[in-house]
Amino acid sequence: MKEALSLVQRLSAHPDSRCWFVSWNPNGTLLASCGGDKAIRIWGREGDSWICKSVLQDGHQRTVRKVAWSPCGNYLASASFDATTCIWKKKNDDFESLTVLEGHENEVKCVTWAPSGNLLATCSRDKSVWVWEVDEEDEYECVTVVNSHTQDVKHVVWHPNQELLASASYDNNICIYKEEDDDWECRATLQGHTSTVWSLCFDATGKRMASCSDDRTVKIWKEYPSESGQDLSWKCVCTLSGYHGRTVYDIDWCRLTGALVTACGDDAVRVFKEDETANPDEPVFSLAAQVTKAHNQDVNCVTWNPKEAGLLASCSDDGEIAIWRFQEED
Amino acid sequence: MASHFSGVLQLTDLDDFITPSQECVKPVKVEKKQGKSVAKIHIEDDGSYVQVSLDGAKQKLERAKITLNDCLACSGCITSAESVLITQQSHEELFKVLRSNKTNETEQKIVVVSVSPQSRASLAAHYNLSSSEAGRRLTSFLKGLGVHHVFDTSFSRTFSLLESQREFVERFQRKEQDKKALPMLTSACPGWICYAEKTHGEYILPYISTTRSPQQMMGSLVKDYFAEQQGLSPQQIYHVAVMPCFDKKLEASRSDFYMNKVETREVDCVITSGEVQKMLEEEKVSLSDFEPAAPDTLLSSVCGDEFLSHTGSGSGGYLHHVFAYAAKQLFGEEVKELTYKTLRNKDFQEVSLEKDGVVLLCFASTYGFRNIQNLVQKLKRGKSPYHFVEVMACPSGCLNGGGQIKASTGQNQKELLQKVEELYKAERPLLPEDNTRVAELYQSWLQSVGEERTKELLHTQYHTVEKMTNGLTMKW
Repeated sequence: MKEALSLVQRLSAHPDSRCWFVSWNPNGTLLASCGGDKAIRIWGREGDSWICKSVLQDGHQRTVRKVAWSPCGNYLASASFDATTCIWKKKNDDFESLTVLEGHENEVKCVTWAPSGNLLATCSRDKSVWVWEVDEEDEYECVTVVNSHTQDVKHVVWHPNQELLASASYDNNICIYKEEDDDWECRATLQGHTSTVWSLCFDATGKRMASCSDDRTVKIWKEYPSESGQDLSWKCVCTLSGYHGRTVYDIDWCRLTGALVTACGDDAVRVFKEDETANPDEPVFSLAAQVTKAHNQDVNCVTWNPKEAGLLASCSDDGEIAIWRFQEED
Repeated sequence: MASHFSGVLQLTDLDDFITPSQECVKPVKVEKKQGKSVAKIHIEDDGSYVQVSLDGAKQKLERAKITLNDCLACSGCITSAESVLITQQSHEELFKVLRSNKTNETEQKIVVVSVSPQSRASLAAHYNLSSSEAGRRLTSFLKGLGVHHVFDTSFSRTFSLLESQREFVERFQRKEQDKKALPMLTSACPGWICYAEKTHGEYILPYISTTRSPQQMMGSLVKDYFAEQQGLSPQQIYHVAVMPCFDKKLEASRSDFYMNKVETREVDCVITSGEVQKMLEEEKVSLSDFEPAAPDTLLSSVCGDEFLSHTGSGSGGYLHHVFAYAAKQLFGEEVKELTYKTLRNKDFQEVSLEKDGVVLLCFASTYGFRNIQNLVQKLKRGKSPYHFVEVMACPSGCLNGGGQIKASTGQNQKELLQKVEELYKAERPLLPEDNTRVAELYQSWLQSVGEERTKELLHTQYHTVEKMTNGLTMKW
């Protein structure tokens, strides 16, 4: 294998706890992490190393499961098992709690900002997906509550250039939502995984989506124009199986290079590259690099740096963050 | 099975996996009987439990039963409540009572059915009739089955509207002393009440109007006034309500509406518009097959053969009537027509009364869960500008209730709703204060029972449901 993943730095991010999620700010200069210690930490580069710039505490009563940056990079949203979502505003190097979004019946599992920055989506163990609208005065109002899943909703993600939302659930399905006549509706349900879908992401164009699951596979979905022209039609065009020894918890599609990276319960981080000569309706992905012992425990999250091609961060149940560089050799 | 409850209630389901038979967390009270301490318990082939004492005598053990009331008082699953409901409140139960009336000469029940105007409109749309006609033909059908009286809840709604108007003015006048006097939130929607009790408890409950819903006003009218009129005891009457909404079954089962002394519910059974359609189908008849009967005028709002309704929303017109009354009573303003301003979406509207640039009254209607959420959050943050809010759990309100007849194959749900709305609005409105029968009843019936009893008959109360936390239900 010519390509390789090399460790840049390992950070003890949430000691004696789990690190659940890491997220790069839009210009790739800061990394936010969250964990079972109810805290959020902001990491920045100084010289050659990454150091903790600030700690956001007292925002949540329980585990912070996900964090998300607004597209402008000035706000951070955190989703917690305490059933709330916190919005933090960046002030110089510090963050202040701006508002708390309440409404979910129990654990909030994910939060994500739409590309416009005006909409926010959250999902919860209460099986619902909520869309919130932000006005100029930083006031948040609930736009919709959709109950299309029959179980815990694990992840929500926005389309990169349309107001289209996708969610992944414990019910093994993926739902895609669109606004219709002043309310949001589930317009497509993608079935195929045989166990919990833990995460999903769009490619740079938004025409394809990658999902990962407890069934140890990764699936690539492609959008097709439907016959009626009305409903959205997504088909599974590729399934990556045999690579992951356990649950695949997270997946990220690099918008700069098109490489896929996965986080797995077998402690490994794996990078997949697409064979560009293959038929677009039958894409082929192959394993380009892997670190089998990337962490001491389950890898919960992986994410490509949005600006620096090849740089990526992962985090684990062992409380650590690892920063990696994926190198391709010609 | 998909849940029939409104979305609000479905969301309050606290666990993903609870099904009633498996994981109901409600402790069951067991009546302990005196007996020998050592015994074996056997399970028979039919699944029943039998206790075998030392001398070999067998005794069948009673099954522990969860009633609907246990479910309502519990913050656990709502799914259980649904299956419990099916055994306690269904058109099967009505059929059972009617059958028993035919076979059992000595223990006759007087069967009273109170039909909501929203259900009339839903049936009218399904069978291509006018709403009034649907009401009269339904009267024929029900009487043919052995029902003794068929009443109309527009009549009892008149009481709900009048009481809401008075309650609002009273609350408005003490708004300076009592921070929780306003906004007054309507109480007719049981989905909303259940959600408020289970999720927001003490924070929201004081804002909710104590006025009874039309269904439960009818409960008072039938089991108190009508029973006395007829020389019957309340338990001799079997009172059925026909409603646009599944959640109304929960409302009827509330302990607040159980008459402890005589051990009977004010409304014994609630069936939905859809269940009436099912009854007709099971009897293999269409509503159009029946000759229209004359309405039962005793507890109905009618003019000749025509059923009368109220102006305003299809959810009872609370906002309209309270607004007009308050404008007159509090500010001497005669409001002929209300201008609704649509806010975030069609289910969130606002009406205000302004004089010389000052907002005197600001009312809103919020339907559906998303709008209820924003209302609740605004209240919590002290940012609600409203004096009164008509709150309904269903998007588009009661005419779109979960118990209404579904669109048939090929029929568009939105078009059907529009048709139901048109049919509902076609009934001629009557001002609550112009209903002379109701005015008479305030004079005769309510004067005689005294102030305290009147309050019991026309108002109700709400209870916070304590949240249970169960560490075992954690899932990452």
